[in-house]
Amino acid sequence: MHLPHFSLADLLRPVSFLGQVLLALVALLRGRTRLSARDLARVSTDSSARALPIVTVVNLLVGSILAFVGAVQLVKFGAGIYVADLVGIAVAREMAAVITAVVMCGRTGAAFAAELATMQANEEIDAYEVLGIDPVPYLVLPRVMSLLILLPLLYIYACLAGLLGGVLVGGGMLQLAPQAYLDRTAIVLGWNHLGLGLVKSVAFGALIGIVGCYYGLHAKRNAAGVGQATTQAVVASIVGVIVVDSLFAILANALGL
Amino acid sequence: MAVQQQAPVVEVQDLEMRFGTRLIQRGISFTVAPRTIFAVMGGSGVGKSTLLRHMIGLLPPAAGRVLHRGQDYWASDPATRAKLRARCGMLFQSAALWSSMTVLENVMLPLEQLTDLDAAARRERAMEVLGWVGLESFAGFLPERLSGGMKKRAGLARAIAAEPPLLFLDEPSAGLDPISARRLDDLVLDIRERTGAAVVMVSHELPSLLAIADDGIYLDDESRQPIARGSPRMLRDDAATHPTVRAFLRREEPPERT
Repeated sequence: MHLPHFSLADLLRPVSFLGQVLLALVALLRGRTRLSARDLARVSTDSSARALPIVTVVNLLVGSILAFVGAVQLVKFGAGIYVADLVGIAVAREMAAVITAVVMCGRTGAAFAAELATMQANEEIDAYEVLGIDPVPYLVLPRVMSLLILLPLLYIYACLAGLLGGVLVGGGMLQLAPQAYLDRTAIVLGWNHLGLGLVKSVAFGALIGIVGCYYGLHAKRNAAGVGQATTQAVVASIVGVIVVDSLFAILANALGL
Repeated sequence: MAVQQQAPVVEVQDLEMRFGTRLIQRGISFTVAPRTIFAVMGGSGVGKSTLLRHMIGLLPPAAGRVLHRGQDYWASDPATRAKLRARCGMLFQSAALWSSMTVLENVMLPLEQLTDLDAAARRERAMEVLGWVGLESFAGFLPERLSGGMKKRAGLARAIAAEPPLLFLDEPSAGLDPISARRLDDLVLDIRERTGAAVVMVSHELPSLLAIADDGIYLDDESRQPIARGSPRMLRDDAATHPTVRAFLRREEPPERT
């Protein structure tokens, strides 16, 4: 059986790339580098308004599914109103952030990888380097910054969509008044839940941006390399999101959040 | 020749190229004089483009030195390397125009990066250079709307915009029809006249090599080292030239080698 060969340099390359991104971020914060406003605007548009329809649909359905599952069990105990607890907490702590991140892995992370891999295949990255333009601050930073800013905003929007899904099922299946449902949600949904989800979404934004750009910039210089980079970016970022979410779960439990 | 006595623009000393442990070429040494069009010749896959990448600073060589104006590029600190690289313009094999920018923006970015010109002066200079390559009326176009030959000309305009004294051309006429290839050759000669740049050109397009190159080196696939040095015309016509090189330049079957 042929096993892929990995050298130490191959294993350290992601670490080196992460270091370059962090250094570029520090340089940006200290005003020693500037963002490509064009890329930032283009990527931000693509990661915000154009992502809203799919984020709405997926999170509305996830909120509805949670409400359905909860309702089936809770009505047996005459505790249907607690569907609001289940949906509110699950959406705010886990589902809105994770589901939105997974959607963005497949949408924006894949687009980053494909775009940068195509630029690599077309020698566009080399053309930047010949001019002395470092691709990390120039191409990676706008993409990572864009997701760092926009994923938390999408998370808030996703929470609202998920809660709406719960309200619809609560009203339709359990005949709960929307006002009663929302009152119950407001009681149980503390800032700790929302804060945890928000912090996670920032981490997911950084992860998706960095992983997508990493695979794009390190793609093979041919058409097949573009496909491979895109697939690897999506798989790695989805796995990464789940792993990071697990770490947050352990951390939140340890901190009593 | 008078030009050969001037200090070389770029010099390669005993360069060795490898992909991992696989040897590509070794023992490459040559100098490029000012205003010379220097051809790197050889068959496909022999390492011509890789040599260019070592010379322009995109890929460190396995061994040997690349001297720009006497300074060892790969032994220099990053700031010096950036200065040395700013002296180079490059036309890539695929033209490598930045796809999200218009042709004008492609030509203006090197000016923004390498010169102190203000925005209006940058635009004026970019339009002037686009005029040289006959693309003024396509300045607002995205690269995807250009033909292959136009992309090469736009890439050439971008490479020369900041008037680098050293120009690298990677397969400039590959994939072009004979008339477009001829026009591009004329353009390279014209740019040499206008800017005084030395040109290092990778090509296996014989008409181009014979028409415009003043000097050159032939990289051999079998021995994995250079086996000829001189202008392509001289190498083609000189009976003392290595038979493989003469066959290459005469478009003949290479002789059997023992």
